[in-house]
Parts: sequence; structure tokens; C-alpha cells
Amino acid sequence: MARSRHDVDSRLLALALVGSAALGGFAACSSLGADPSGNASPSGAGGTGATAQGENIYVTLCARCHGPKGEGDASTPALRDWGKGKPALVEAITGVMPKGNPEKCTGNCPSLVADYILANFKGGAPACTDVSPGKRALRLLSRREYQATIADLLQPGQSSASTCTSRTFTFSPGTQTYKSVHVAGSFNGWPKTIAEGGWPMTFDPQKKVWSTTHTVVPGTYPYKLVLDEATWVSDPTNPATVPDGFGGQNSVLSVSCTSNNQLPFDPTTTFPADARPVGFPFDDEVGRVVTGNVVDAYWKAGFVVGQAAVEKGLSSLVPCDPKADAKGCAETFVRSFGKRAFRRPLSDAEVTRFRGVVLTPPDFTKGVSNAIAAFLSAPSFLYRSEMGEPQPDGTYRLTPWEVASSLSYTLWGTMPDAALLDAAEKGELGTPAGVEKQARRLIGDPRARDAVASFAEQWLGAETIRTVDKNAGMFPGFDKDVREALAEETRRLVTHVVFDGSHAFEEILTASYTFVNEKNAPLYGMTGVTGSDLVKHAYVDARAGVLGHASVLGVLAHSDQTSPIRRGLFVRRNLLCETFGTPPPNAGGVPKVDPNATTAERFSQHSADKACSGCHKYIDPVGLGFEYLDPIGRIRTTDAGKPVTKGGDMLDVEHQGAGTSAPFADVKELAATLAKSEAAKTCFVKQVHRYAHGRLEDAGASCAVSTLRSSWKAKGNDVRELFVAVVTSPDFLVRK
Amino acid sequence: MSPLVRRRSFLAALAASMFGIGLAGRGALRAAPSSGKARRVIVFYFPDGVPTPSGGPDNWFPTGQDASVTLSSTLASLAPYQKQCAFFRGLSMGPTDAGSHPGGAKKLLTGVDGGNGVSIDRFLASGVGKDTPFPHVYLGAMASQNNASGDKYISYPSAGTTSPPEDNPLVAFQKLFGNGGPVGAGGGAGAAGAAGMTAADPGELSVMDAVKGDLADLQGKLGAAEKAKLDLHMDALRDLEKRLKGEVKPITPAGDCSSPTVDAKGVDAGTLYQPELFPTILRAQTDVMVQAMACGLTRVGVIQASQHTSELIMSRFAGTDLYTPNYDMRSHQASHYGQPSDAKFPTYTLQRKWFVEQFAYLLGQLAKRPDVDGTMLDSSLVLLCTEVGDGNIHSHDDMPFILAGGGGGAVKTGRIFQTGGKRHGELLTAIARAMGDGVQSFGQDVQGPLSGLLSGLGPRADQPPCAGLGSPRRRSTRGAHEGSRTMRSP
Repeated sequence: MARSRHDVDSRLLALALVGSAALGGFAACSSLGADPSGNASPSGAGGTGATAQGENIYVTLCARCHGPKGEGDASTPALRDWGKGKPALVEAITGVMPKGNPEKCTGNCPSLVADYILANFKGGAPACTDVSPGKRALRLLSRREYQATIADLLQPGQSSASTCTSRTFTFSPGTQTYKSVHVAGSFNGWPKTIAEGGWPMTFDPQKKVWSTTHTVVPGTYPYKLVLDEATWVSDPTNPATVPDGFGGQNSVLSVSCTSNNQLPFDPTTTFPADARPVGFPFDDEVGRVVTGNVVDAYWKAGFVVGQAAVEKGLSSLVPCDPKADAKGCAETFVRSFGKRAFRRPLSDAEVTRFRGVVLTPPDFTKGVSNAIAAFLSAPSFLYRSEMGEPQPDGTYRLTPWEVASSLSYTLWGTMPDAALLDAAEKGELGTPAGVEKQARRLIGDPRARDAVASFAEQWLGAETIRTVDKNAGMFPGFDKDVREALAEETRRLVTHVVFDGSHAFEEILTASYTFVNEKNAPLYGMTGVTGSDLVKHAYVDARAGVLGHASVLGVLAHSDQTSPIRRGLFVRRNLLCETFGTPPPNAGGVPKVDPNATTAERFSQHSADKACSGCHKYIDPVGLGFEYLDPIGRIRTTDAGKPVTKGGDMLDVEHQGAGTSAPFADVKELAATLAKSEAAKTCFVKQVHRYAHGRLEDAGASCAVSTLRSSWKAKGNDVRELFVAVVTSPDFLVRK
Repeated sequence: MSPLVRRRSFLAALAASMFGIGLAGRGALRAAPSSGKARRVIVFYFPDGVPTPSGGPDNWFPTGQDASVTLSSTLASLAPYQKQCAFFRGLSMGPTDAGSHPGGAKKLLTGVDGGNGVSIDRFLASGVGKDTPFPHVYLGAMASQNNASGDKYISYPSAGTTSPPEDNPLVAFQKLFGNGGPVGAGGGAGAAGAAGMTAADPGELSVMDAVKGDLADLQGKLGAAEKAKLDLHMDALRDLEKRLKGEVKPITPAGDCSSPTVDAKGVDAGTLYQPELFPTILRAQTDVMVQAMACGLTRVGVIQASQHTSELIMSRFAGTDLYTPNYDMRSHQASHYGQPSDAKFPTYTLQRKWFVEQFAYLLGQLAKRPDVDGTMLDSSLVLLCTEVGDGNIHSHDDMPFILAGGGGGAVKTGRIFQTGGKRHGELLTAIARAMGDGVQSFGQDVQGPLSGLLSGLGPRADQPPCAGLGSPRRRSTRGAHEGSRTMRSP
């Protein structure tokens, strides 16, 4: 086989340079990709007969992508009613499937599995009727979940987020009467009408005042009041104004949030990294384990937090007088704190256990501090249980307490609040309607912004812009402040779309604006932006949505040069959920390259060489379409002294092997193609599903994913609705 | 004030507290009977293979026959220790995933395809190393760069499971030596830590009891997969508990443990992943490891320099041959030199040479510290490894392992072993045997230790290898080995 080049990170570039023709030659995948324990050896599988062997192979190696019944999905071609005969099917499999790991199916394996496919997958795809249960799990808190939980745990009964970001707007109409008054500003996209998202004010006829209260994330925002959806006025109650560019004045809202529940330090700085499997972007992954490094870090953090908690005073933690009744008071503390730490009530035996910790030292305060340390090192705190209780049909249903935790960690990234625990206690989380009611409450709370922002920055890989190396000589000034602004920009754009804008997935890709401050605005060619608060600003060049973000573009590049491969793979993997395997044994190596050649020229080998083009024809034309954006995401016109290539192509965006082409001039056009793509929307469903379940979906999840996709489509692709649907789906609430 | 300065200021008190718990009075090394066993093992990993293109030139392997060895220029820094190095030709990691960096990293220390087994370091830590204060010390230099995926890590606590190393030398130092002395995990709450913890604190022990109680409750309720996860957690808690209770003592006699210190200028949580600081961090981690060994805190250590398919920009290493201002050359990038005539080939070679020099520094630090029957190098095994052979084609054959150290007389060194394509698991098995673990074989497709490597002084095949290991837990975490490793009954 001819040689090719793989000098980029294998996490992003583990390519199968294995031929291409079969099954459309595009993203198929290996069911073993994320499961290192999957040592199935179908070539030698010992079934009871050829059929059993074929089935075993199919289930092990093929079903995750092609579906348990060969039905495929928006990301993978169907195998039903294969009309080209067995030899063609065997040829399609041999040396190609599973994509990237064809060595897992050699010998008579392709023939056996072809027989199975031909014998069983006839007629139209069976309707998806039953969503299979998800998998039971014990999920270690991620570092960011631990941080958020500690902050909440030490502030009983308070939600700092909602108190510090809530703002009330008022308007006294005097003698005038209006049919409507609404608030429009940079925080909600300057809507002209209430229907377009204006925040309606309500009139109190007693006080003769219009008012509304809204949550606004910290920042500085220009806004106006809109009377009868026609007359725009500045807020008479607000002295802070700036020129509006039309000869008038905008009012300015400044929201700062100095939260009082932050610890003066971060107890997680010594926690080891949250490792994730290849191709799984989210930190809260089910497979993470606790070894010596981790136990010691938890142990130390527990004592540090316990000490800090009691130093702030016992009163908020211990609602009783230990001098009067140490034992009783210890029990009161243990029951109340323990219920919040474990996210469920303690059993009597557990109360006795932790009360003993409180009472061990002579000093009650020290005992409380120790008990907090004990709670924080206890597995009931450190792991989120999604184990459920056995049902008569052999499945496991999550307990109301488990549901409460799962909802809050998925939708808020932190522990449940009092209302959610109350709902669990009252049995309100035992019905789908009850779960949905709480899920809707949570997604409407400001804390959901944090969780959705964290989801987004992991899904898009944007968070890494904080640390990814850039050559200081080539990119002077690309400093901590710029990086932070870029990371925050991505969080802001996504949360703005999801909560304040159209709520629709498409706008994440197609937004004609972004959020900038004086640090990141220059990267986008925007002038006149001052201050450190991010403000909404229209793009002034050929960009759209998150694909225009320097955070995303910068991470998908080397320190000193772009990487069309990474950028192309990102689109294929993160946005379309396609899978590429690892290189075959004899891949690697590259003909001598001309150091004066452009990046595009250096990668031309991929399309010239048939052995490479099988995969690279789907990757390179996409990535090369980004070449006008440099390694930190700025527009550039030359590379190595030559004009950059312009435009790219998105082959086969819907994955069905139809050989479609969708040329694009810039990321704006690419974003429009993706926004229209059904495959991209199905992929987004999978990403939210992965985030919520902490693992890659298996073959059994195909019905859940397609059901979620249908219901989400019916809701206009409102991202909030998707999050609600995923956590209320039967496969989330019932496990096996 | 930098962490370094602060640390130095408490060194005196620290040393006092340390010696209070078992190191005092061990200044003079007693002569011990030659055990024929290695007292400790350190694995030193570097990424992205070596320059050994199939058509030559071979810029890695030494030449010569048996004991007449001539080092390549890449290995030149090993000259002072050449007589204590065993070199190998033809060791193979097998065909599965050949051509893959992650596939190689998974097999490297487990000897099992897909990382589907416990790794040799963890195996030994829970066996011959279990009665030390820190059975397993896993230190990294930028091993978790760029949100590393789990397959970047080479140490497998159980089949298919990795856990990251400590990448911060200051945190590592603190954990091993700081705040509460080397025995406690550092009841870092403040008072307990600074007090030196010469006796177990009843309050802290009550915390441990409660935590273990909670874990045991949970274990009783779970299915097999989750239970295996909690078993690992329980192992780690027990190790911590033993330290808290003083049930584990540093191994005796240990080496020179007079004033542990670490020099990590400019290193903090915010700079851990700056390539310019990589040499400082790797050096600091090496120093921490050697001192932990010298103080007898552990028998098993792993130093992981970077990660496979490394983005480490080695051209930023000031004061080295690699330094090239305003030009970024990464480890993995250089490894794909294409043809030996490409300019990247000599750069790649120089990069490997730099890693070998860091390995040589580790050997030097061991060699200058006295131990039973000579130096710490004489009594140790130090394994140099990387996850592929030739980096250009990701070969899994003719793997460039080097086993250094006298191993307490358990291994034959100063020569090249022609293995004829034997699995590298045979080398791992030999290391286990040299450490006193009687395991029959370690890794798949392995019958026993690599022929000729063991001196025969170690535990012999005719001795009951399982007896006396006292490890009731040689069990579930290495389930995948059960098929390939056979424990002989006495």
C-alpha cells in the first residue's frame, strides 16, 4: 500500500486508509471503538453454527452503527434488502469493515456475516416501537461537577446564580395607556415584538407601573423599552446610557455577580485530569475510576473543605446547639447535611456511622469538619448512582432520588436544589409527567446556562483554547485574556441561542453574530469594541455561528500552522458523528514535501493516492475550505507566500452513500449546509444523549435516538426541548 | 512566593517529622544478604518510537554480539551504565493493532491486546510492592496535555482501564513528602498535617472507617461491572488507610533520604503544559521518583514523559540541540520523517537522544545513591520504553526496550539479547520474576520469562511461586490475565 501522512494527533486523526468503495465508502464504524474490553474475536467465534456465528459477528462488530436490524440511521447506511448479491457484499466487507479495524473480521468472517445480513434483513426497516433501557451506571463526579457541588453544598438553601443575575425592569406610563411594553436589548437579540422574543412587561393597575423580572448572565448590555411594539425609548429609571447610533440613547444594564458561595480556593487543583475515551468529548464519562492519586486528592480536598466550612461558622450548617445536646445535635447535622451530600436521605445505620465521626474528637466543631471530610470522600457522594431498583420485567427503574441527581447534574451540572429533593421525597419523580415538570423547571433556571455552556464547549472542543499551544513569535498577544474571551465567547453564543435567541439548533451554526470584548474583537476584524464584557456583535467577515469561532478554529490547528485534517475531521466527527478507525499497519510515512508549499499543496497527496482518498476525500475538502482562517482563526489571504485555496466541498453530507456534493465558499455556506442536514441534527441528538448518559450509544440505543430525533423535530429543533426529552426518555429512566 | 521557596522553608521540620516515622536511624546501610531480587522497578516511558527505518540507517539499536556492545550515538549517554543495560532485538508486541500508537500504548505494559489486562506496574504494586507506603507512584510530564483521552496513559489498574498520572511535580512532592509526612496522605486540613502525624489521628481514622463503611455498603448492592470499579477504589482507600495507621513502613534499609527537595522553577498549575517547561518538569518528576525510592516509600514507579502521538513541541527546549526559535517541531511530527533523507530524520533522532539522556539522568541519580550491596542502580530495574518501534510506520516489532540496573543480581546485563520475535510479555514476566513475584507468565502468548535474561538467582520455577506472597487480592482486577497466567500451586 502506498504511504501516507499522519502527523497529527491521533485523537483527532486516527484514520483508516483502507480502501473506500464498499458501502458507499464513508463513515462506517467499529463497535469496539470505545470498548477496550471488547476482545471479541469473531473470526474465531465459537457459535453453535454458521448462523449463530454470523449473528454474533453482526452484533459485535456491525450493529452499533448499522442498527440491530440493519436499519441504519441518518448517520449510517441501511443494509436491508441488499440487492447486489453476496459476492458484492463480501467484497464490500472484506478489508474495509468494521471501518478502521478490518483485521477484526478476516477469514470466513465476511462471508458469515454477509449470510446473516442477507438472510435476516429483508423488507423495509421495522418500525421502532420500544425504546430499550439504557445501561446502569455508577458515575464518578467530574472535576467540574465536584467544584459546583461543593459550592452549592456549603450554601444551604441558596442559589447564588439566580439571586445575582435577576433584574427587574419597571416603566411608569404616567397618563398614557399602552397595549404592550417589552424589553429589547443585546441580551435577547433586540426583538421588535414580543413574539420575536421580547420580554413582555405586565401592568399593575394599582401601582400604575409596568414591570418584569428577568435573569441576565453577568455582562454589560445596551437595551431599550418598546412601547406597543413600535416606539423605542430608553429606560427612564436608568441613568446609564450610551448613544444608540441613531441619534438617541440606549440604556445600559450592568450585571455583575460576586457570588458569596465561592470558596477562597479551589479544592480540586490537585485532582488528576478527567480522562475520556477516544472520540468521547465529555468529562463525565462512566468509565473513570478511582486509583491512589485520586483517593488522596479527594481525601485532602475533603478536609480542606470541611475546615473552610466550619471556619465560616457553624450556624448555617448546624441548626442546633451542641452544648445542649451534642449527640442529638450531631444527628441533626448529619441528617440534614448528609441528605444533601448523598442526594438522598441517610439510613439510620448511616446516621449512626457519620454521627460517630462528629463525636469522635472532643471538639464538636472539629467533629463537624471531619464529618464533612467523611461525606466528601464517601462513594455515595463521589458517585452518582444510576443503578435503579429491579422491576418485575428484569429492568431497573431509577429511584426518585437517582432521578433527581440525574436531572440536576445533566441540566445544571451540580447537585439538586431543595425543591428537587422535595419532589423526590414526595414521590413526584415516579411518573414521566412529574419528571418532565422538574426537567422543565431546571432547564428554565439560570443554572441550566452553565450546564449547556459546558456541554457546548466540550462538544465543540472549544474549552481547550485556554491551554492549546500557539507559537508566541508568530502570534504575539495571543495571551490568557484573549484565550479566556474566546472560550467564553463560545459559551455565550450557544447559551444565547438556546435560551435567549431562537432556541433552535440551526442558529448555533448559522448565527450571523457572535459575542466579543476588546480582547477577541480584533481577531474578527471588528473595531471600536471596548471593555472586558462580551457584547453581541455582527460578524463583519465570512463567518457564521460556532464554526467561525477562533476558539474552535484555534484548537483545530497546530501551534504554527493550520490543520485541514483536524478541521475536516471535526466536522465529520463532532457535527456528523461519523467514525474513522485507526491507521492500518503499513500506513504512515510521507513523500518528501516542499517546505515552500502551502498546506493545501502538501495535503494534495491524499486525494492523488487512492489508498488515502477513501477516507480523505470526505475529510480534506471540508478542512481545506477553512484554509482562509489561520491557526488562531483570523482571516488570511496567503499561506507560505502564496494565495490560500478558497472554498471546499462537503461530500455526502447525509451519509447515505449517494455521492452528493455541496461545495461551499466559506464557513458561512458550510454552516448553512450543515444546518439543513438531517445527519447533523441526528448527530446532535446523539451528542446530547452521550453527554447525558456518559457513554457512546450502543446498538440498543438506536430506537431511543430515532424517537428523540422525531420528537425534537416536532418541537422545531428547540435545544431546550431536546435536553428535556433526553432526560425524560424511557432509556434514561429505565436501565438494564 | 514560589511554591519552591515555601517548600524549602519547611524542609527542616519536614525532615524531622519524616524521620520520626521510621526513617530515623537508618543512616547507615546494613549489609543485607544478597537476595538475588530487584528491590524496585521504575518504568520510564517516552512517546512516538525510535528512528529505525527498515532500509536503514538504524539510529537506535546498539551493535555487536552478546556482551560486546557498541552503543549508537542516540544511546551514547548510556555509556557509563552500559554494563548494567540489557538490550533486545526482535521483541514483538504482536500483530494486533500493529501500526497504531494507541494500540501500542495499550499493549506496552499490559502485554495484552487492547489493554485488556492489568499492567505490570500495577500488578507488582499490588503484589510485591503492596506493603510500602505508596505501592504505586505514577508521575507524568505533560501526560494529560490537551484533555488527553484515556488511551494516552500506559498504566492499567485493571483490564481496559487507565487512570492518569500526577503531572504536577509540586503536587507529587507534596503528596509523597509534604504536609503530614510521607506516611499520611496529608490530613491537609491544616493542624493535623503540620503536626507531623507521628501517631494516627483518631478523628481522621474515624473518617476512614465511615468512608470504608459507605463503600462496603455500596459494593454489596452492585453488579459485577460497578463492583470492579469499587474494588479499585477500595484498594486505593486501603493503601491510604495503611499509611494513616502506620501499618506500612518505608522499606528497609533504604537509601539516602536526608533532605528531599524538588526544583521546579516556574512550574505551577497554570504552566504545567508549556512545552518550554517540559525539561524542568520531567527532571523534577525524576528527582521526586528517585527520592521516593531512596526514602523507601515505594518499590514501583512509572514516569510517563508526554503521551503517544505527542504534540510536545521539542524545538522549544532552550539550551538543547533541539532548540529552534520560531519553528515548532513536535515529537509526533518529527517521527513521520518519511524517508531517512528527509530533514526530519536527524531531528527525530536528536529528539530520541534527548529522551535517552533524561533516562540516563535517572540512572545516574540511582547510581550515586548507596544501597544494599552497592548503589540503588545495582539493586533496581529501570525499563526504558516507547509504544512503537520505528515511529514512521508505527511498527510493533523489534521494540526498543532497554532494561537497566543490576536488579539485585537477578538479571544479566551488558549484552544484547536476540529474541527472535518473542513477545515482549516475556520481558515483563522476567521483570516480575526479578522483583520476586513468581508469576508463571505475564501477558498473552507468553510461556515464561525471556530466555537467558534472568540470572537464576531469583525465585526459581521449582519454588512455589504463589506461596508467601500474601496477596489475597491477586484477583479480579487482572481478570483478563487469568487465561494466560498460571499460578502454580505449591
